[in-house]
Amino acid sequence: MGTIGEYIKSAIASIKNNKGRSFLTMLGIIIGIAAVLTILVIGDGLKAEASGQMSSLETTTIDISIDLSKTDKCFTPANMDAIEQSMNCIYGLSPQITLYGTGKGRKATYSIYLTGGSDVLSHSGSNKILYGRYFTRDDVEASNNVCVISETAAINLFGYVNAIGETIEITSEDMTSEFTVVGVRENTSLDKSYATQVDDKPVLTGDIPYTAAAQAYNYDVNSLFTDVKAYLHEDNKDIAMSKMKSVVENVTGLRGEDAVKVTASYGMDESTKNILSVVTIVIALIASISLIVGGIGVMNIMIVSVTERTREIGIRKSLGARTSSILVQFLAEAAILTFTGGVFGIVLGLFFAKMLCTGIGFTFIVNPILVIIVVGISISVGLFFGIYPANRASKLNPIDALRSE
Amino acid sequence: MKKLVEIKDVCKIYNPGENEVRALNHVNLTIGENEFVAIIGQSGSGKSTLMNMIGCLDIPTSGKYYLHGKDVSHMSDDEQSDIRNEEIGFIFQGFNLIQSLTAMENVELPLIYRGIGKRERDRLAEVALNSVGLEKRKNHRPNEMSGGQQQRVAIARAIAQAPPILLADEPTGNLDSSSSKEIIKIIKRLYREGRTVIVITHDSGIAKQAKRIITISDGEIQSDIINPDYKED
Repeated sequence: MGTIGEYIKSAIASIKNNKGRSFLTMLGIIIGIAAVLTILVIGDGLKAEASGQMSSLETTTIDISIDLSKTDKCFTPANMDAIEQSMNCIYGLSPQITLYGTGKGRKATYSIYLTGGSDVLSHSGSNKILYGRYFTRDDVEASNNVCVISETAAINLFGYVNAIGETIEITSEDMTSEFTVVGVRENTSLDKSYATQVDDKPVLTGDIPYTAAAQAYNYDVNSLFTDVKAYLHEDNKDIAMSKMKSVVENVTGLRGEDAVKVTASYGMDESTKNILSVVTIVIALIASISLIVGGIGVMNIMIVSVTERTREIGIRKSLGARTSSILVQFLAEAAILTFTGGVFGIVLGLFFAKMLCTGIGFTFIVNPILVIIVVGISISVGLFFGIYPANRASKLNPIDALRSE
Repeated sequence: MKKLVEIKDVCKIYNPGENEVRALNHVNLTIGENEFVAIIGQSGSGKSTLMNMIGCLDIPTSGKYYLHGKDVSHMSDDEQSDIRNEEIGFIFQGFNLIQSLTAMENVELPLIYRGIGKRERDRLAEVALNSVGLEKRKNHRPNEMSGGQQQRVAIARAIAQAPPILLADEPTGNLDSSSSKEIIKIIKRLYREGRTVIVITHDSGIAKQAKRIITISDGEIQSDIINPDYKED
C-alpha cells in the first residue's frame, strides 16, 4: 500500500486543523514522556556516580584477616613485605588505622580525619594528586610525619590549595603531633559527605603513613593489625585470589590453623548497581502512570474527533475507502499526536535532567538507545490508545455516516 | 445495449418482524450503458433505499443485484468499497465535500483509494476540474466557494476516476435556480459524453430533464417510461 503516505498526510492536516486541541492533548504525553525520561537519565547518572571510583581505576581490593580467636599472630611490616615479595600480581598491601582529631593550620582549626595506610593507598581512589606527591614506601618505613590532604582541607586550613610544605598540628585526646603536607589531592566522595559534618563546618580528610599514625598514638605496629587490604588491578583478581591464602599462611606460619580469611571485595559492585536499576525502573514506572493518563486523553480526543467527523468518514467510505484505510488514517493521527508529544517531551525531559544532574552534581549521561526507546514508547501509546476510536471509525456504516450532521 | 445495472426481485426490509418496513418490495430494474435515468418518488417511497442499493452502499434482504454482470448482492464491506470506487461516482444533495481539504484534494480522494500515484492523480484531478470549469478554484476550500461551485467540485470528484455510473441524489436540492440549471447542463453533457447517469429526485422538473423516468412509490416501481419531452439542450 503506497497510499499510507497519503493517510499520514491527511492525519497531519487534521491535527493542524485543531492546533489548540491537539496541543492540549499532547500536553499529557509531553509531561509523561518528560517525567519518565528525566528519571531514567538521573538514574543513569546515579549509577555512574555510585560505581564511579573503584571501577574507573579498574582497581579492586582483597580483604585478608587473621582470626584472633585461633592465634595471637598478626600482620607486621616485615610479614607484609614478605607477602608482597611473593605476590607480584598485586600493587601491595595496606593496613588501615584512623587518626581523628583536630587539625590546626596556619589559617584555622578544623576536625580532621586522617586515614593511615601504606603507600599503595594511592591506588584506592580516583582522587588525583593536584600538587606535590603521595607519600612513599620510604616515608612509611621511616614513620615520617607526612600527609596528603584534600583540596578542601588545604583551602580551609591554609587558605590556598598548593599547601606543600605547610605543617598541620594534629591533636587527638592527649597527644599532639605535627605533620608536613607533601601532597594535595582532589576531593573524594568522603569530602562531599563530610562537607557539613560538625557544626556546619566540614570534617577535613587526608592520608598518612600507618606507621606515623601508630607512632602518634604510641602503638606498636608489630602487634596492631589483624586486617589488611591488598590493592590490585581488576584483571589480576582471579590469580591473586587463588594464591593469596596459601602465601599468607606460609609467610605468617599459620598453615593448617584455619585462621586466615581471604575475601574479595567489589568496588561498587553488581548488586548495588542492580538495586539502583530496580529503584530507577520502579520510579520510572510510577512516572509512566502520567503517560497512561495522557494516553487516555488521546483516546478521549480521538473519540471526539471520530464523532465530529462521522460525515467525513461516510464520504470517504462512499468514495471507496476500505475499513483498513479509515483505521490507518485514525491510528496514524493518534500515533503522530503522541509522537510529536514524545519529541517535545524528550526535549523537556533532557532539559530537566540536565538541570537536576547539574544541581545534584551527577554526570549528565544520555544513552541514545534510551531516547530511541522513549520515542518508541510514545508512538506505541498513540497506537494503543488509538485502536478503540480508530476501530470505531472504520466500522461506521456509510449510509448512517453520510446522514449524520 | 449492454446491461450495467440489473436488479432482480430485490426486497429490502427494515426491522424484520411485527413492525417491518418494506422499503423495497420485489423491485426489478435494468439500466443499460449510456442511459440517462431519473428515479422519482416522494420521501418514504423507497427511492433513497434504491439509490443506496444501486450505489452499493447497502445490500438487499432478498433478490439479486448484478452490477456490470457481477453479483454484488452479498459482498463484504471492503468488497463494496472497492466496487464503489471503481464503478460509481456519487453526487450528493449536500455536496459532501471534506471541508478541510482543497477542491483539488477532494477530487483526488477516490484516486487515492484507487492507489493511483501522486503525479497521475494530479493530472486526472486537473482534467476533471477543467471539465466543470473550476481550473481557477483548485486550491480553494469548500467554504470559499458558492453552492454551485461546490457541487461542480463534487461532480469533478465523481468523474475523476472515470466510473461507468454517475449516481446523483437530489443534485440540485441545495441550489438556487441558476446554479441548478448549470448543474443540470453539466450532468446532461456527462451523459452525452457516454456515461450512464442516474438521478434520484422528488422534483418532477428535474426528472423531466432525463431521457427515461422511473417512478417509485411504496417500495414498488409504478412506471418506467421514455420521456417524450427529452431535449438535447
